[in-house]
Amino acid sequence: MLNNQQIFEAWLAGKLTTAECEQQLQSDSEWYGRFLTAQQLQRHAKVPAFAPVPDIDTSQMFRQQWGGRPAKTAWWPRLSVGMSALALIISISPLQLQLQDGALALSWKENNSLEQQQQMTTMLASFQQEQQQYLQQQLLNQQQQQATQLVLLKDYLTENEQKARRGDMIELVEYLNQQRQADWQYWQDNVQPTQARQDYGNNQQRQ
Amino acid sequence: MFKRSDESLINKALDGDERAWQQLVSRYQTMLYHYGLRLMGNPDDARDLLQDVLMVLCRNLAQFRGDSSFKTWLFGIANYRAMDMLRKRKPTQDFDDSPDFFDEDAPSAESRLYGQQTQKIVQQQLKYLPADQRLVVELRFYQQFTFDEIADQLAISSNTVKSRFYAALDKLRTQLEVAHVEQSANF
Repeated sequence: MLNNQQIFEAWLAGKLTTAECEQQLQSDSEWYGRFLTAQQLQRHAKVPAFAPVPDIDTSQMFRQQWGGRPAKTAWWPRLSVGMSALALIISISPLQLQLQDGALALSWKENNSLEQQQQMTTMLASFQQEQQQYLQQQLLNQQQQQATQLVLLKDYLTENEQKARRGDMIELVEYLNQQRQADWQYWQDNVQPTQARQDYGNNQQRQ
Repeated sequence: MFKRSDESLINKALDGDERAWQQLVSRYQTMLYHYGLRLMGNPDDARDLLQDVLMVLCRNLAQFRGDSSFKTWLFGIANYRAMDMLRKRKPTQDFDDSPDFFDEDAPSAESRLYGQQTQKIVQQQLKYLPADQRLVVELRFYQQFTFDEIADQLAISSNTVKSRFYAALDKLRTQLEVAHVEQSANF
């Protein structure tokens, strides 16, 4: 449980809202009065002040105090920048630094453009060769793929045709069987009784 | 934009970099001048205080160890110099003669809302507080220091700071009530 001073200080520290603080301090006129005065001061403190600041020679002040001391500057950033600039100049100029057989040679590259042209021609030839090889390989791959696909298509078509033919034959056999069954039924229903009657008649005549 | 820390500016200034010093000064001089205006009550004394504080700061820059923030350390110096000046001031010198130094025509939504008249009354009544109480109010409300920071700056206990603060609030409350009554009577 906080006492009124703690509540007030919590509000000052921003841990309580104005409404919460007001509600809790309302019953105590002393603390409520302090709270209202503090609010007035807070509002006053928030109002910006525009009074111009007078000119004070702070440079003179600084020079008098620290003027005799030379500015200390680190040497390594300058060295770093210098080395970077040197590396840049070497890389864009015809200057060449070569380490060959344990010997370091610094030379000025001449015929620079001819050499560059030769390098370019070699690179182009190499590129052309690579391209041709690649195209041939691609062609070969494509042919193989096409042949495989044709074989698969042929197999599929043959299998389908065989299935269709087998189906047709089954249907034909079924049809013939049905015909034979119908003929036999017709014979049983119509021809056999007539035949039986004739045979009976003939037998009677013979007797 | 990248803002250099106070510590970095101090180190550079200690290496002889004048620009770093100027940057440090420009960061705090307005704050210090307005602090002086409120505390001393007139622009001349506020100017003297600012100059004095900057000179002491320049001389003692190397003594900043970073145990507290630079602002706390700087206001520690300012408080000491301000109280010294207030002690030396002639007892007859009164605030009443000093002109109003804050621009009342400054455009601000806050000021319009609050009312310029009330601002003026608060500003006037602050002047009548005893110096040690006025200083605590200044540091708590206008510079936003905590009670502990103020206690560190003034080298007194936190409870003493609080008792000065509450005494100031009580006194100011009575003064403001009287001032409001007088103002109403004048209307």
